[in-house]
Amino acid sequence: MGEFKVHRVRFFNYVPSGIRCVAYNNQSNRLAVSRTDGTVEIYNLSANYFQEKFFPGHESRATEALCWAKGQRLFSAGLNGEIIEYDLQALNIKYAMDAFGGPIWSMAASPSGSQLLVGCEDGSVKLFQITPGKIQFERNFDRQKSRILSLSWRPSGTHIAAGSIDYISVFDVKSGSAIHKMLVDRQYMGVSKRKCIIWGVAFLSDGTVISVDSAGKVQFWDSATGTLVKNHLIANADVQSIAVSDQEDSFVVGTAEGTVFHFQLVSVTSNSSEKQWVRTKPFQHHTHDVRAVAHSPTALISGGTDTHLVIRPLMEKVEVKNYDAALRKITFPHRRLISCSKKKQLLLFQFAHHLELWQLGSTVATGKFLVPGKNGDTLPLSKDADHLLHLKTKGPENIICSCISPCGSWIAYSTASRFFLYRLSYERDNISLQRVSKMPAFLRSALQILFSEDSAKLFVASNQGSLHIIRLLEGSFKHLHTFQPQSGTVESMCLLAVSPDGNWLAASGTSAGVHVYNVKNLKLHCTVPAYNFPVTALAIAPSTNNLVIAHSDQQVFEYSIPDKQYTEWSRTIQKQGFHHLWLQRDTPITHISFHLKRPMHILLHDAYMFCIIDKSLPLPNDKTLLYNPLPPKNESDVIRRRTAHAFKISKIYKPLLFMDLLDERTLVAVERPLDDIIAQLPPPIKKKKFGT
Amino acid sequence: MVQLRPRVSRTPASASAMVDEGQPASEEEAEHGLLLGQPSSGAAAEPLQDDEEGDSEFDEDEAPEELTFASAQAEAREEERRVRETVRRDKALLKEKRKRREELFIEQKKRKLLPDTVLEKLTTAPQTTIKKSPGKLKEVILQKKNEECEKGSDSKKTKEKVQKVQSVGHNKSYLAVRLKDQDLRDSRQEAAKAFIQNCLYGPGTNRTTVNKFLSLDNKRLPVKKAAAQFLNNAWGTQRKQNAKRFKRRWMVRRMKTSKN
Repeated sequence: MGEFKVHRVRFFNYVPSGIRCVAYNNQSNRLAVSRTDGTVEIYNLSANYFQEKFFPGHESRATEALCWAKGQRLFSAGLNGEIIEYDLQALNIKYAMDAFGGPIWSMAASPSGSQLLVGCEDGSVKLFQITPGKIQFERNFDRQKSRILSLSWRPSGTHIAAGSIDYISVFDVKSGSAIHKMLVDRQYMGVSKRKCIIWGVAFLSDGTVISVDSAGKVQFWDSATGTLVKNHLIANADVQSIAVSDQEDSFVVGTAEGTVFHFQLVSVTSNSSEKQWVRTKPFQHHTHDVRAVAHSPTALISGGTDTHLVIRPLMEKVEVKNYDAALRKITFPHRRLISCSKKKQLLLFQFAHHLELWQLGSTVATGKFLVPGKNGDTLPLSKDADHLLHLKTKGPENIICSCISPCGSWIAYSTASRFFLYRLSYERDNISLQRVSKMPAFLRSALQILFSEDSAKLFVASNQGSLHIIRLLEGSFKHLHTFQPQSGTVESMCLLAVSPDGNWLAASGTSAGVHVYNVKNLKLHCTVPAYNFPVTALAIAPSTNNLVIAHSDQQVFEYSIPDKQYTEWSRTIQKQGFHHLWLQRDTPITHISFHLKRPMHILLHDAYMFCIIDKSLPLPNDKTLLYNPLPPKNESDVIRRRTAHAFKISKIYKPLLFMDLLDERTLVAVERPLDDIIAQLPPPIKKKKFGT
Repeated sequence: MVQLRPRVSRTPASASAMVDEGQPASEEEAEHGLLLGQPSSGAAAEPLQDDEEGDSEFDEDEAPEELTFASAQAEAREEERRVRETVRRDKALLKEKRKRREELFIEQKKRKLLPDTVLEKLTTAPQTTIKKSPGKLKEVILQKKNEECEKGSDSKKTKEKVQKVQSVGHNKSYLAVRLKDQDLRDSRQEAAKAFIQNCLYGPGTNRTTVNKFLSLDNKRLPVKKAAAQFLNNAWGTQRKQNAKRFKRRWMVRRMKTSKN
């Protein structure tokens, strides 16, 4: 290992956007999450809650509703009045259909999955038929006076409850007419000037309609008679979301104060058959409004303005009480947003609509007259970090991916419809940028961009499954080759890795194994066998050309490309198994890098730790101490720890967004403290605490 | 014998008063005076003095002028005809004027419209079903719109949008869209965003700053800490700018004096 100087970077002003809608799909155990900037992310809950796919956002697409329909089809609707269907295979938008009702506030798929109901700004409820290729407008229901903010189907598909402002309507699906109009009190036991907004409705199969509104009430209505059955006041602020489980014995509501309440149907006395709804558990995992909740068979999922996605497994539903039953909070992205140019010590930060280029600061070199600092010392900066470039993207679309070449003279980024390549030149103190025009159209919507080590080639993985190789010349480019996907599959290549000598290119898709291509011959060399968990990070070691793959279940494999088989070390560790604490980590490994002079070291990091794996040392078994929380006490302690086992883990820098080895003695760690993110969120509800 | 003064023929109530609705020509009015209280002609309208003069001219023995009924009738008819003629002429003139103005407007309007060829193409373009262009997120289906129109949906926008998008010309690399529709759509979207902003963060909602929210924890700790303060980089920007400018000028002055 040795000693390193670490650049601790905290000027990456990354603020994720708040979560607006959440939709759970039972068959595939996947969660679709849409954010306020229009991004839709798909999390695979069975693959250790890993974000496997995402659709980049768009400025005009403010999604207000998200739902799954029959056959794994995902639809979203927003304030621009359009219903959008997403293509989960090709990772793009299939089509956007205008509903002609003005902004769309709510959407619900029928229990059979073949019809889609949409509630619009002008008060109309529109029914669409889901055909194999498209959706088709069927008819309008009776038009209501104010905007329809929430919709729910009865499980039998015969009735619909629509929540609006100050009232709830119950429609009959066959005739399309409103049967009941239930007026909601503006305030629990009182009058108020503020209108009561029904944020969510849920229709149960026995005819009960549950509504949550902005006065903080949860109300139970009987849809047959149109009367109020029960009234609960649970919060002083709005209750903004509701989700019912499939068995209809429990539901979850989220409030604007950040509390999530769990209601369950329990019997009145222990042996009676009569049941009633009781508020059982409150959970306070959020600080801001909880705008979306979902109920999976075993867990409660909530997301809101504070950008965390919280998955809380319910203890009574979980079979095995192991680490799987713990709370999961997903805050940091599962992809890399930062790229680094090692030669020039530059960092490129990717935001939603712009890129920032920073030059790292430097400190006075420690010569032989200066005493080298002790472990943990902070060295003063002689030259501050410099913000060199702020590059704004044109157009309303978000940036999907970006990269800077290792020599620091090329920047490339891609949005959903265009690809941009810039040439940078440094003259003394100035930096000038020149755009390479007329990029070919097949490069757009790239999921991953990578430059080769000598910055002569550009590798682009597009969402159609093809890999493009572009040769970079002085002011222009030349398209060298395209690797097409295997016949029959349209699988997007999400991650790329190139070997430092430039011979090998590894690409991983969402399900098939990792493909390794020979760049010199432009042919497929071999394929690493598929593993049932998605790949989270890929890298190729410099001299040995070993491909190191990290999966979302925290397994790390090492595959030798020239030999076309797993290495000895990889087989050993698979046989022994990883330490149980290693496997219980929450966040996926997002970056792997290597030391040039020490081929036995692998450096990898996730959001809360970074680790150097020394392959020459023995592997830890379950009984050894994996983490060393305290710094070493004395010299013998250091030596003992150095030779104890192979996994050297440090949790000093967290939360880490990026960590890399700049040269032999320097590391760069980009941190993003949670407080800095919270400082830039919208205002939360005021809470009055005794004594303040 | 009673002496009868010579009587000037009194014209009957003017035809124009009965024929004309609202536009008596100014000369007529002046001529006829039309107010019932003031007979415009006749013996009563003349001053008394004239009577005296008239009286002295003629002898008392002379008989009054004989006025046959026929002549009076002829005169009256003559007068009527004249009046009617003037009315008709005036009307015709007005009509001419209006017609000329209309034509002028039509001419101007025609100049503003697109050339005929383009208009023809617009009206006769085929009803396209689905138009899907790569990278374009907005799709419009004309069939569906027609269906909606038939079903009589209430949303006003459908009627406007029927002619919204039709391909013009042979190259389909662009779409012609009415700007008015786009503005309407944008304004509706803005209104919706304003509504939700008002609901969640507007007056009446109990919101506080993040600063205060995070400070609550600090105040409840066993060892009370200060409130969380976030750096306000926007404070005193004008002052900082002035200071920077002053420093630059001072440096320049220093350089000049040090050189001399």
